[in-house]
Amino acid sequence: MDNLLLLAAIILCVSGMAWLALAMDVHWKQVNSGALSAQAVRKLRIIGYGALFGSLVCCLVVDHATMASLVWIMLLAGSALTIAFTLSWRPHWLRVFAVPFARAH
Amino acid sequence: MFQNFRLSMAWLHTWFGLVLGFVLMAVFFFGALSVFDREIDRWAVPESRFDPQPMPSFDNLLRPIFEKMQPTKTDIEQFSSRVNGAMPEQFDTPVRWGAYTTHRDPVLNIFAGYEVPNAIHHDDAIFTSSTIDPRDGRIFPDDSLKIGSQFFYPLHYSLNFHWMDLGYWIVGFSSLIMLVALVSGVVMHRKFFRELFTFRPNKATQRSALDLHNLTGVVALPFHFFFAFTGLVIFAGIYFPVSHTQLEQLHDQHEIHEAEVTGLPHDRAGIAAPIASVDAMVAEAQRRWAERGMAGEVGFLALSHVGDENGYVSVYRAGTDRVALTGEGIHFKASTGEVLREDPPRTVVASVNEFLTGLHLQHFRHWMLRWLYVLGGLAGCVCIATGFIFFVEKRKRQYVKQGSQNARVVDALAVTTVTGMLLAAVGMLVGNRLLPGTLPEGWPPRGNLEEYIFWGVWVLAMAHAFWRSAPVAQARMNPAWIDQCFALAFLAPLAVVLNWITTGDHLANTISAGYWPVAGLDLALLVVAGLAFIAGRHLRRKTQTESATAANELGNAEVQHG
Amino acid sequence: MSLKSSSSSPTLTATHIISRIGAGILGGYVFVWGFIALSLAGLYAVGMPFHDAEAFGSIIGFLLYLVVFLWAFAAQSMGKVWLVLVGSGGLMTAAAALIQHSLV
Repeated sequence: MDNLLLLAAIILCVSGMAWLALAMDVHWKQVNSGALSAQAVRKLRIIGYGALFGSLVCCLVVDHATMASLVWIMLLAGSALTIAFTLSWRPHWLRVFAVPFARAH
Repeated sequence: MFQNFRLSMAWLHTWFGLVLGFVLMAVFFFGALSVFDREIDRWAVPESRFDPQPMPSFDNLLRPIFEKMQPTKTDIEQFSSRVNGAMPEQFDTPVRWGAYTTHRDPVLNIFAGYEVPNAIHHDDAIFTSSTIDPRDGRIFPDDSLKIGSQFFYPLHYSLNFHWMDLGYWIVGFSSLIMLVALVSGVVMHRKFFRELFTFRPNKATQRSALDLHNLTGVVALPFHFFFAFTGLVIFAGIYFPVSHTQLEQLHDQHEIHEAEVTGLPHDRAGIAAPIASVDAMVAEAQRRWAERGMAGEVGFLALSHVGDENGYVSVYRAGTDRVALTGEGIHFKASTGEVLREDPPRTVVASVNEFLTGLHLQHFRHWMLRWLYVLGGLAGCVCIATGFIFFVEKRKRQYVKQGSQNARVVDALAVTTVTGMLLAAVGMLVGNRLLPGTLPEGWPPRGNLEEYIFWGVWVLAMAHAFWRSAPVAQARMNPAWIDQCFALAFLAPLAVVLNWITTGDHLANTISAGYWPVAGLDLALLVVAGLAFIAGRHLRRKTQTESATAANELGNAEVQHG
Repeated sequence: MSLKSSSSSPTLTATHIISRIGAGILGGYVFVWGFIALSLAGLYAVGMPFHDAEAFGSIIGFLLYLVVFLWAFAAQSMGKVWLVLVGSGGLMTAAAALIQHSLV
C-alpha cells in the first residue's frame, strides 16, 4: 500500500510540474501549436499546484510529517528535472497534459 | 569596490565558486556515494555479503570480544601527542564500550575507550574499534577496507587529509562558500521562475552549460542549502570548539551538575563491580518502548565506567522509522540492572538539532528518499561541473586573445574533478578485486594499497588532462574529456566482470536472489559505463564538426585570398 | 574585470580583495565565535539546557556567518565591516567570559 501511495505521489508530482511548465508560454509553444489563453494559464496553474499538493498528501499518509516533508521536497526537485529534460528532448511526450487545455480551433 | 549589490554577488559567486568548486565536487560526489556506503562495503568486502542483522546478545557474544579488545599500534601512535611521557603498554581500565547498528548493517561496528593515566587532558581516552560478524563473533581483519563507510564517506567530510585536521577545515570552509554561492547565484539569476524548466542542449556550449547550471542549482536548491548547512552544524564542535576552550569551565561544571540531575555518575567510584545481564536490560528497554507504542530495534548500546560500581548501561532505540538517528534512551545500573533513567522527550531545540543531524546522516529506512538524495547529490555535481564549463567557455576566446594559459588550467582541473574523480573511484573498486586476499610479508596492508590506487589513478588522470590540454589555448575542446569518458566506459564494466570472476556473485545471481547491495552497485557501474560511452561519442562528434568547420573556414579564407 | 574608479569608490586592487576576503572569513569567524559563546553562556545562565544552548548557538551562528560573509562583500565601507564584525564579536566573547566567571 505504501509503495502504491509513493508511486501516486511521484505521478502527481511529475504531472503537477508538467502542468506548471505548460502554463508558461515558451513551453506551451514547444508542445502545442495553438495559443495559450489567459484562462488556460489559470486553469493549468490551479491543477498544477493542486497535483503538487496531492502529492504532498500522499507522502504524509505514508510517513510522518518530518520524513514526508523531506520526501516531498526531493520529489519536487526530481519532477522538475524530469519535466525540464522532457521539454529539451521529447516535448511531444507532454502533449497529453496540454490537450485538455488547448483551445478548440 | 562594486557598483551595486548584484555585481558584488556575481564576483563572489564566480571566483569563490571557481576555487572551492573543486573541493565541493568531491564533497557532493562522495557524499552522494555515501548514501549507499554500507552497500559499497558489501561489494568491497565479499565476506560481509549477508543480510542485515539485529544487535546480537551482549552477554554471550559481545562481552568476550570486548574483554579481549586492546588499542592497536595505529591507535596508540595517533594518541601519542596527547600524553605526557610514554604511552602505556597495556590499557586495563575501559571507560566505554559501545556498539552501533542500523537496518542496513550485516556486520557490527564496536568500539572501546580506555583510560590513559598520563593524558594531558584529564578526560581524554584512547579509542579502538573493530568489525565483527554478529552471527558468530568472528572478527574481520583490520585491513579489509570498507571502501564505502571507511573511505568514500570520510573523504566527503575530511578529504581523508588528516594532517592538522586541515581536511575538515577545507571542507567546512567550502560548505560555507556553498551557502554563499547559492544565495549569490539566486541574486544573479534574474529569471528564477521563468527559466525553471529551461534547458537548451542544442545551443552553444556556453548557453547550454549555463542553462544546466541554473536548472540543477534551482530545482534542488533546498537540498543543496540544507546539506551544506547541516554538515556545518554537525561539525560545529570542530569549527567553533567554544565549550572545550573558552567555556570549558562552564562545560565541566555543567557535566557534574548533569550527572547529579540524571543519576548517571560522571566519574568512576574506584570500586570494582560485576556487570549484570545486559541482555535482560535490553529486553526491558524494548518492553518499555513497546509499552509506549514505539516498539523497535536496538540502535546503540553503550557501557560507561566499565567494571566499576558507578558503571551504567545505555540502550538507545534505532531511528529506522524516523529522521532522528537514535532515541528513547534508557539507562540501567550496570551491576544490578535496575533502571536509573528513561530519557525524557526532547526539548524543541534538541528536536530541531536532531532533525537537522538525522536529515543529513540518514540512518532511516526509506529507499525512495535515499535514491532522491543521490539524485540531489549528483545534481549538485552537475551544477558545479557546468559552472566550470561555463567559466571556461565564456572566457576561452578572451584568454586566447591575451595569450594566457588560464583556460587550459581551469579546463584541465575540471577534467580532473569530473571524469578523473570517477576514474579514481572506479579504479579503486577494480583494484579491490584484483589485489590478492593475503599480501606477502612486509607489504603495506591491503586497505592502504587500495587507497594508493585511488589517489594514483586520480593523479594520473590529472596528468593526462594537463598533457592533452593544448587545444584549449586555441579555444577548442580538451580531448582528455573524450579519452577519459572512454576509459570510464572500459573500467566500469571491468569492475563488474572482476566481481563476477572473483566472487561468483554475478548480476543474474544477485538480482534473482534479491541481494540488492551488490546488484545495485554492479548495475550502477554499468549505467555509468553506458553514460560515459554516450558522452564520449557525443563529444568526439562535436570535435570532428568543430575541426571540420575550422578546416572549412581555413579553406574559404584561402580561396578568398587566391 | 576591473571597474572604472570614480572619486568615491575604490577599484578592485589586490589589497582591497584581500581585505574583503579577510573581513569575510576572519571577521566573520570572530563575530560568529562571539555569538555562539554568548548564546551558550547566556541561554545556559537563564536555564536552557547546556547542549540545547550550544545547538541553538551553532544553528543560528552558521546562518549568521553566511549573512556577514555576504555583507563583507556587498558593503561599501571596509572599515565599517571590520569594525562591526571584530568589534561586536569581541564584545560578545567578553560578555560570555563575564557570564562564565559569574557562574563557576
